[in-house]
Amino acid sequence: MPPTFRFPFRSRSRIASEVDEELELHLAMVAAHLRAEGWSPPDAEAEARRRFGDLDFTRAYCRDEDFRREKEKSRMIVVDELRNDVLYALRGLRASPGFALIALATLAFGIGANTAIFSVVRGVLLAPLPFTTPDRVVRVWESNKTLGIAQGTFSEPDFLDVRAESRLASTIGGYFFADGRSGVDLKDGGTPEHLSAALVTPGFFETLKPHPLLGRTLTTEEGTPGRNHSVVIGYGLWKRRFGGDVHVVGRSVTLDGEPFTIVGVLPQEFTYPASQSLDVWMPLSFFGPDAIGRGRASHFVSVIARLNPGVTTAQFQTELAALASRLSSGYPENAGWDAARVTTIRESIVGEVRGPLLVLVAAVALVLLITCVNIASLLLARATARQRELAVRAALGAGRGRIVRQLLTESLIVALLGGMLGALLGYAAVRALVAAGGVQLPRGSELHVDGLVLLCAFAISLISGLLFGAMPAIRAAGPALERKLRTDTRGSVGSGAQAQRLRGALVVSQVALAVVLVVGAGLATKSFARLLSVDPGFHPEHVLVERLSIPEESSDSVRGPAYYASVLDAVRAVPGVEAAGSVRDLPTRGVGEMRRAAQLGLPLANGAADASVQLHHISTDYFKAMGTRLESGRDFQATDRHGAPIVLIVNEELAKRYWPGEGAAGKVLHVGNTDLQIVGVVQNIHQNGLSEPVEPTIYIHALQNLRGAMSIVVRTKGDPMRLANAVRHAIWSVNRNQSLMEVTTMENVLGSAVARQKLLAWLLGIFGVLGLLLGAIGIYGLLSFAVTQRRQEIGVRAALGAPASSVMRMILGQGMALAFGGVIIGTIAASLLTKQLQAQLFGIRPGDPVTFAEVIAVLLGTAMLASWSPARRALAIDPVTAMRQD
Amino acid sequence: MARQALGLLQGTVDVLILKTLSWQPLHGYGISEFIRQETNGDLAVEDAALYQALHRLERKGLVESEWGVSDANRRARIYSITPDGRKQLRSEVIEMRRYMSALFRVLEPA
Repeated sequence: MPPTFRFPFRSRSRIASEVDEELELHLAMVAAHLRAEGWSPPDAEAEARRRFGDLDFTRAYCRDEDFRREKEKSRMIVVDELRNDVLYALRGLRASPGFALIALATLAFGIGANTAIFSVVRGVLLAPLPFTTPDRVVRVWESNKTLGIAQGTFSEPDFLDVRAESRLASTIGGYFFADGRSGVDLKDGGTPEHLSAALVTPGFFETLKPHPLLGRTLTTEEGTPGRNHSVVIGYGLWKRRFGGDVHVVGRSVTLDGEPFTIVGVLPQEFTYPASQSLDVWMPLSFFGPDAIGRGRASHFVSVIARLNPGVTTAQFQTELAALASRLSSGYPENAGWDAARVTTIRESIVGEVRGPLLVLVAAVALVLLITCVNIASLLLARATARQRELAVRAALGAGRGRIVRQLLTESLIVALLGGMLGALLGYAAVRALVAAGGVQLPRGSELHVDGLVLLCAFAISLISGLLFGAMPAIRAAGPALERKLRTDTRGSVGSGAQAQRLRGALVVSQVALAVVLVVGAGLATKSFARLLSVDPGFHPEHVLVERLSIPEESSDSVRGPAYYASVLDAVRAVPGVEAAGSVRDLPTRGVGEMRRAAQLGLPLANGAADASVQLHHISTDYFKAMGTRLESGRDFQATDRHGAPIVLIVNEELAKRYWPGEGAAGKVLHVGNTDLQIVGVVQNIHQNGLSEPVEPTIYIHALQNLRGAMSIVVRTKGDPMRLANAVRHAIWSVNRNQSLMEVTTMENVLGSAVARQKLLAWLLGIFGVLGLLLGAIGIYGLLSFAVTQRRQEIGVRAALGAPASSVMRMILGQGMALAFGGVIIGTIAASLLTKQLQAQLFGIRPGDPVTFAEVIAVLLGTAMLASWSPARRALAIDPVTAMRQD
Repeated sequence: MARQALGLLQGTVDVLILKTLSWQPLHGYGISEFIRQETNGDLAVEDAALYQALHRLERKGLVESEWGVSDANRRARIYSITPDGRKQLRSEVIEMRRYMSALFRVLEPA
């Protein structure tokens, strides 16, 4: 070890006087020499000076050199001391690997979890939207209380009326976009590709005002029929299909068989209204009334608006509600659509995930709190344990500042290393979250660990290191040190007991925080388990899904059904296929077409209210392929084709609601002047998602009422993905140019529908386990330490004949007392905090007493386990050696 | 003392000091006397240059000083050479020998 002992530095005046003294001595010696040669004393002195040369300059020069040397030396010593401190700290950490490991792991997890969650929050909730003045942009809905629709889309005529009459918005735009369902076929000689598309009205781009990467957005004239063959493409398509060509503007592409001119490219971050990426924005007017119904009953336009400066969402909502109410009394189709709803566009984009994200933020903040408490407790224990060592160092002459600095260095090193590990962990976690994809967060593709989040993580680790390092360091270096050296080692006298009390308080708060976290974890996991235990109404195992849209040229009423049937037949002929059918909207992926019960001639007389009814277009064998039970009647058959009497299948919910106790099979609905016979009743399918109630549903045979999009579902023997290629080639054997939108399994479809709940359950689960672990470490650490400190006391007790069980009871009792305190505080806190979880839970109440009881049991059990080993160690203390020590 | 002492080439003072101190620790006056005696007065180091060089060398860590007692029983700053100084001296001597022999190959061709 390099010497830590040194002389104090020389001051500037000291240096000056030393130089003077040296030079005077020289002159005196020369003068003496000259006198010896016979010079008179005054002459000798003058001669000595003359011979010396420039005395004043030399004096200044020497002083300066000496001063510079002194400064360099002191700097070197500081560096040296710092190096020593770091080495000393590292050696100290190596000497107690348990402490180092626990501290590092604690920090790494705490900071890692926080880095990850805050990166997500920042990316999703806080990052600016890629619009101009996004604060003025709002999303608008029409509401229908009768149908229970709070956020409904507009019909095109309603939209046009609202746009013409609103005074509070500077622009209003509309679009049609259904994730995974609105799209167009791109053919340019390469592989046919189905592009995701948003169909937009004039006003859409004027409202959002994105800044195109190349070219421009669509103009108002380009929204009118005849001039609407212009398209704006997204960043992903531009890179993928056009290799990022900067001269792409002006080029022509064939979409759904028609030539379009590319007028602009939008930047990567602009994907509205899609959440992740979008290929093309094209004029809505391109799709004629035969493709999308344009009557007032056909609600499909999503509406956005840019408010005039100073206008609030509430004012705009009032204006729109008045307009809607006027329309609703003016047109019979608008009955009930008499209200409107307005939210900021940010709210409409991230509102759904804000709740779960804020829950995660709260949880991760709790983890951070526990982390800090744990670190504080660890450092405090360490400083207490090292008091003797420090006292010895102080006695040997180490300054108080030096000791504080050494302890601080140690905690800073731990904090920095922990922070680095945590940053790495957080980085990996964000990568994993993005890769998982199933997270389905809006703007999820933009997620990354950014500098600010990392900086915060480091700041947190540094501050915690300083704070929790300084506290014990200052205490340890206090005047009590010498007393410590003189008196202590006899049990928990003086400052030792004080530190133990402080640590006790820390452990109690740790347990309390753990209770809150574990309750949250328990509720989220149970909620997720309950969600998964819901019978979806079909068996997703072994079901392959291939989605396609029937090409424009094959979609008329004659060729369409033939094409549809031949594709299905080709798929059914693939070896290994047990059954194949199709549906327009897969369960959890869409709600079909909405009709009102009264429109469909459903009997409302039985006391059933008018409600929205889902209409789904399916093929024969759809239920067979899905594994959905036919409750009564029959399935569709090949003979139910175009021209034959139209037949329907309904779900149990509809049958129960409109013909309670009677059964629906055989009933006839009169719609207009057509009679529709219900031929079968099927098991309820959770079409809107597992957590949503099943709505009354009618299935209609697609061959009798064709729709352009179809998802082919194939029940296979064994792994469905192994048949994916064969099925694809079967489809291409019918039409080589058929584009496929998606090839997946029904299990994936269902999985992605619950991905968010799954993520929440997993993350809260992980945080809960972390909380539990840290709490256990806290109790264990405190008790082990207490046992070590009280060795002699325990030894004396044992020597005086205290039975082993009483010693054991004493230690366990100490641990359990802390645990009980923590559990009581934690339970109260949890019962207050978990109320915020309400919206995220399915099938379980936030105050669920069973969960609370379980958590309390788990925590007390963990506390018992953590106390056990220190208690055993106390038992093993040999009274003789214990008392003889020190 | 009749002959005029030679002026010194640049950098030579440093080498002379280091060489002197390599024999024994000395104070400034002692160093100056030693050089004069060794060269029979042919080389004279100006006192100002000597002290400047000593303090410069000390800053560079080639010599170190401490306060001791002179022959006349006065407090004097005594210089001694450091290990780094010895190393420096060796390489300076080699360098100087090369320089001189090159110089004399030109001045006095054989």
